[in-house]
Amino acid sequence: MECNEVLLALVLFIDNEIEDVNEVETFESHLAQCPQCLHEMEHERAVLNRMKNLLSAECCEPAPEELHERITKQTALLASQMFSPTQIITEYRRTETTINGETLIEIETTHEIRRDFPLS
Amino acid sequence: MSSEIEVRTPAGALATENIVDRTARFERDAMQYTNQLYAAAMRYTKNPHDAQDLVQDTYAKAFTSFHQFEPGTNLKAWLYRILTTTFINTYRKDQRRPLISDGEVEDWQLAASASHTSDQGKSAEDEVLENLPDGDVKRALHEIPEEFRLAVFYADVEGYSYKEIAEILGIPAGTVMSRLHRGRKLLRTLLADYAKDRGFGGSDGM
Repeated sequence: MECNEVLLALVLFIDNEIEDVNEVETFESHLAQCPQCLHEMEHERAVLNRMKNLLSAECCEPAPEELHERITKQTALLASQMFSPTQIITEYRRTETTINGETLIEIETTHEIRRDFPLS
Repeated sequence: MSSEIEVRTPAGALATENIVDRTARFERDAMQYTNQLYAAAMRYTKNPHDAQDLVQDTYAKAFTSFHQFEPGTNLKAWLYRILTTTFINTYRKDQRRPLISDGEVEDWQLAASASHTSDQGKSAEDEVLENLPDGDVKRALHEIPEEFRLAVFYADVEGYSYKEIAEILGIPAGTVMSRLHRGRKLLRTLLADYAKDRGFGGSDGM
């Protein structure tokens, strides 16, 4: 692997986005024997980590309390609009008939769905 | 001859999740991400007012389609996906524009350097990053184009992989790679520019 190939894919290596294990090994063995590329990689990684820390520290505005309240109210409102008292009534009927010592068991199930209109 | 007939009717059992249970599950699982969604929305809209509306609309859509969310998968990423589509449908409807030219996938390597940078360049960049005043990074992030900004946000703040970002933004992973690298490059250039305006950080612009 040549230096220029390593440098072009450096960021993929740092991001852990090289999926091919063999390729990662080739990459690492180049870094182990090329101080310049290793130095480049370490610098890039340090800069990236610093950027990540700065970005994370500044891009974390908490939602205003008002927004939490708006969402809670909205959810309750949507829920009430979507609420149609749906009832599923399941009925089991078990019939046991014994005639002259022989028992016949029948089990019957019915489902009834009751829902108000209109549906949304 | 004996004959016996027995009839029993137990109370019906409700098998499906009703709206009350779904609401409770939504409040418990989805609403804990309001702060993070708001911070993400700020990257889309760049102002608190629109960001609040965007998050509220996102939660409305998320709630009405919550039955489509597959439990056990990543709920936060699912919400970010809805945030993205809501933003595109609502806030960008009237200002559609070609975002990036064709070939963005192929030319991402332009943002990479094929040669070793000088030690001078490295220390100049370190100096810039060590001396950044509060707010500079956010200012720079908001200056770069939206598509780059979002890729950088999801990768470098949220820590998602290229594949996850691709799903959130609804673009191919190769496009994520391109936007992320170019976005980072732009950020670093801007930060160097700010530093230069303040009189330090060298002159080679990283």
